[in-house]
Amino acid sequence: MISARVKIAVAVFLFVSFSAAVSWAQMPSNMDADSAAIKQCVAAWEDAWNRHDAHATATRYVEDGDFSSTTGIPSHGWKELEEHYNAIFTTFLKDAHRTDGVKSIRFLTPEIASVDIDWQMTGAKTRDGQDVPIRKGLLTWIVTKHNGEWMITIYHESAF
Amino acid sequence: MPPIGWIPVWASPDLKFTASGCAMISIPSKAAFAVLLFLTFSAASSRAQMASNRDADTAAIKQSVAAFADSWNTHDGHAVAMHYLEDGDFTSIKGEVSHGRKELEDHYTTVFGTFLKNAHTTDTVKSIRFLGPDTASVDIDWLVTEPNAPGGVLRKGLVTWIVTKRNGQWMIMIYHESAF
Repeated sequence: MISARVKIAVAVFLFVSFSAAVSWAQMPSNMDADSAAIKQCVAAWEDAWNRHDAHATATRYVEDGDFSSTTGIPSHGWKELEEHYNAIFTTFLKDAHRTDGVKSIRFLTPEIASVDIDWQMTGAKTRDGQDVPIRKGLLTWIVTKHNGEWMITIYHESAF
Repeated sequence: MPPIGWIPVWASPDLKFTASGCAMISIPSKAAFAVLLFLTFSAASSRAQMASNRDADTAAIKQSVAAFADSWNTHDGHAVAMHYLEDGDFTSIKGEVSHGRKELEDHYTTVFGTFLKNAHTTDTVKSIRFLGPDTASVDIDWLVTEPNAPGGVLRKGLVTWIVTKRNGQWMIMIYHESAF
């Protein structure tokens, strides 16, 4: 005769094991869905950038997001980020257009990923007003998932 | 009315109330209360510990950066590669990729045998952002000197690492560098 407690314990154990198995099986398909969602997040950011909408570009970051420029100058949090984008969109990147292509994604956890993005830019000027035919390099982002949405937590860029 | 705090449903069938009112608490309720107290206390102490762990982890990450620079400066390709996870990722200033210890060791052995033969690196941690208790993003100011380079400076820029803690040791999972 098996006591009620043992039955309950077995039921709980079975439920937990089953849930674990289901979530394990779901992981690869979630990663595919998340990879697609991350690519969409990159495309949405690129679109905001190409509209030169500083507010929309900044709010693709988490509220305390970190940006670091090609020369290592940081901006932290929405306010500084928006100021940074406003400054560049009204000066040397006023006529600039960018193209971003996701090169690779590495998941650190199901909700944190490192993303490498090839970038190219036309229409940029140097700080003293000279035309730059083409700028290119690599963006490296840490993105995190918040309420189902992937956002930029840390942004680094390099030009070469 | 349950006497104190929240009592799980599975504990309540044993709850007894006497004619003298709610003053008397049954043994299972006491047990539940003790568990609740224990959990509250654990949460509080783990929160307090988090801050001091962060300090210890910050120091350990700085040490791992220093150890990496030491290996780099002895031009030991194998030792440098061993600071990475087995499946670590390196990306050069030109966006060229090496993945895993074998490719990493090949890469470092090549550069140390050629244009970085007489180079010396100085790496200084600029900032650390924790992504979790065992994962952090690290920005490192980077200066490579070389006797034949113009002004003695071969490279200057920012190195960014994603590090992860394995068996108490912080190791490089992802390495990016930019020169400016």
